[in-house]
Amino acid sequence: MKSYYGRQLVHAKANKVPENIISSAAFIGNVCQRCGQNVHGKLPNDHFYCRACLALGRVSSLDVLLSFPEPNHFDGNDILSWNGQLTQQQKVVSDELLETLSRQREHLVWAVTGAGKTEMLFPVIHQALSQQYRIAIVSPRVDVILELTPRLQQAFSQTDKVVLHGAQTEEYRYTPLVLATTHQMLRFKSAFDLLIVDEVDSFPYAGDQMLAHAVKNARKINSAVIYLSATPTKTLQQQVKRQSLTTSYLPLRFHQHLLPVLKTAIVGPWRKKLPLKFLRQIKQFSQTKRRFLIFVPKVSDLVSVYQNIKKDFPDMFGDHVYAGDPKRQEKVQNMRDQMIQYLVTTTILERGVTFPGIDVLILGADEKIFSENALVQIAGRVGRNKDRPTGLVKAYIQHTNFKVMAAQRQIRQMNKRGRRLGGRV
Amino acid sequence: MGCLGCGRQQTNNQLCHDCYRWQQKGKKLLNHTALYQYNDAMRQFMQQYKFNGDYDLRVIFNCVLSQKINILNADIIVPIPVSDHTMVTRGFNQTTGLIEGIQYEQLLKVSAGQKSHQSQFNRKIRMMRKQPFMLIEQVSLEGKEILLVDDVYTTGNTLYHAADLLYECGAKNVKSISLSR
Repeated sequence: MKSYYGRQLVHAKANKVPENIISSAAFIGNVCQRCGQNVHGKLPNDHFYCRACLALGRVSSLDVLLSFPEPNHFDGNDILSWNGQLTQQQKVVSDELLETLSRQREHLVWAVTGAGKTEMLFPVIHQALSQQYRIAIVSPRVDVILELTPRLQQAFSQTDKVVLHGAQTEEYRYTPLVLATTHQMLRFKSAFDLLIVDEVDSFPYAGDQMLAHAVKNARKINSAVIYLSATPTKTLQQQVKRQSLTTSYLPLRFHQHLLPVLKTAIVGPWRKKLPLKFLRQIKQFSQTKRRFLIFVPKVSDLVSVYQNIKKDFPDMFGDHVYAGDPKRQEKVQNMRDQMIQYLVTTTILERGVTFPGIDVLILGADEKIFSENALVQIAGRVGRNKDRPTGLVKAYIQHTNFKVMAAQRQIRQMNKRGRRLGGRV
Repeated sequence: MGCLGCGRQQTNNQLCHDCYRWQQKGKKLLNHTALYQYNDAMRQFMQQYKFNGDYDLRVIFNCVLSQKINILNADIIVPIPVSDHTMVTRGFNQTTGLIEGIQYEQLLKVSAGQKSHQSQFNRKIRMMRKQPFMLIEQVSLEGKEILLVDDVYTTGNTLYHAADLLYECGAKNVKSISLSR
């Protein structure tokens, strides 16, 4: 029974519906009632199924959806076991979030990379838990969720929580706190009193109707939603302008230092031969033992760049990683654990990850895959640590490029505002 | 190199132990043809097509499988049926999906009370399973060459049971084909 609380589960019409569980139509007017889309695959005998949300298990015209209204069966005796301090600016945002919860509104936190977004959430999560609310923290990116999980585990060590994503092995349990990818919200219905969407501007959430529907469907009618982003999309910014969304703006990092600026170097065709400037930089890293990331535009660039560096610097241990890498999580963990000095990566590590004290090099930053916001995010991987609040971010480009300049301008603008709050280099 | 009876990959050209066992039991070998090995990629395909029910994926192997079936030149093509329960949950027969466009005759059906899917059982249980099928109606297959079609061949259990029924109807010879093995 508990496993149905606030859920929306697919069930074959041919099978018996459990007692007291509400069964509703899977399609109304051809629209899938789980994901709100109208994209069908055909089945024999005039039946059909929804292609849009197929990855979460098929919804077909042979099915019904089962649910049970969220009863909020929690004790509310949750303890915040985090004893860090919020900076003054973080405190302002955190208070605005508490207000968001009590007013049940939608709110955007626009905070630079490394502003300490997670910590600012702790008070509002704690408040919600103590009101026996059910809370979901979701992100379009699984890496973000995997990085958030241990931090929330530390902060709410007594609170039962479940982590849900496509590759998870943990079985679903009824818990007050749910950490999940946004896709998983398709399996909930009017379940959450507080829903937090981290990295709301990132792929695949941005511009995806189905995921927007999922979030809308998973929250209660009277509930609060908090969106987090360092680089909000145009659509979100418009909503802010139209005042349909309230905003907290935090242009300064938690350690009160400004964002590292994005530097550029013009190089030749680096795919043919790694540029001398680039190799000189690597040489410096190998001497200073500095840890670093190298971003490349394509998966096909990974191996050749990695092999070339390895050839020139055989004593330096590194690795390469991409989205479909079977050992992806293991390699990223090795980098986190300082087992390796560097990682050659695609844009998958552009956000949501922290490797203390690293520098970043971007090969082919002028290529299409690196959007303005992606470059700002990548630059944001640097200087996240109190002990080393600065660092090098260098973009190797073949031509001067508007997009790279726009990213530089965006960083400069945030630093300008950050300086007003007392930020220093 | 492969088994003479079922095409299983092995280092010699003799019967594999499964086929040897069928022969010992007095069965006439099916001379099975399989298009692909059941490797991880095929397992993923089956997972997506059959168990996640993405019927659109039936077209992927439709062409190669149809060509092979045409080459084998049988009188009657008989697909392995799915149970009524599968029909109202999965909504399709994965085998007839794969050979869409080919003229076949649905001579068999799954006997009532046979609900469970083969794939949830291990080899030993599968080998011991009793006849799961029955004829939809009595037909004479006197002198006919029959080709049975299934999606995956694992122990041969399913196909040999189906073949038994067809031989009882007087079939001259029953061969079989599957997408993978």
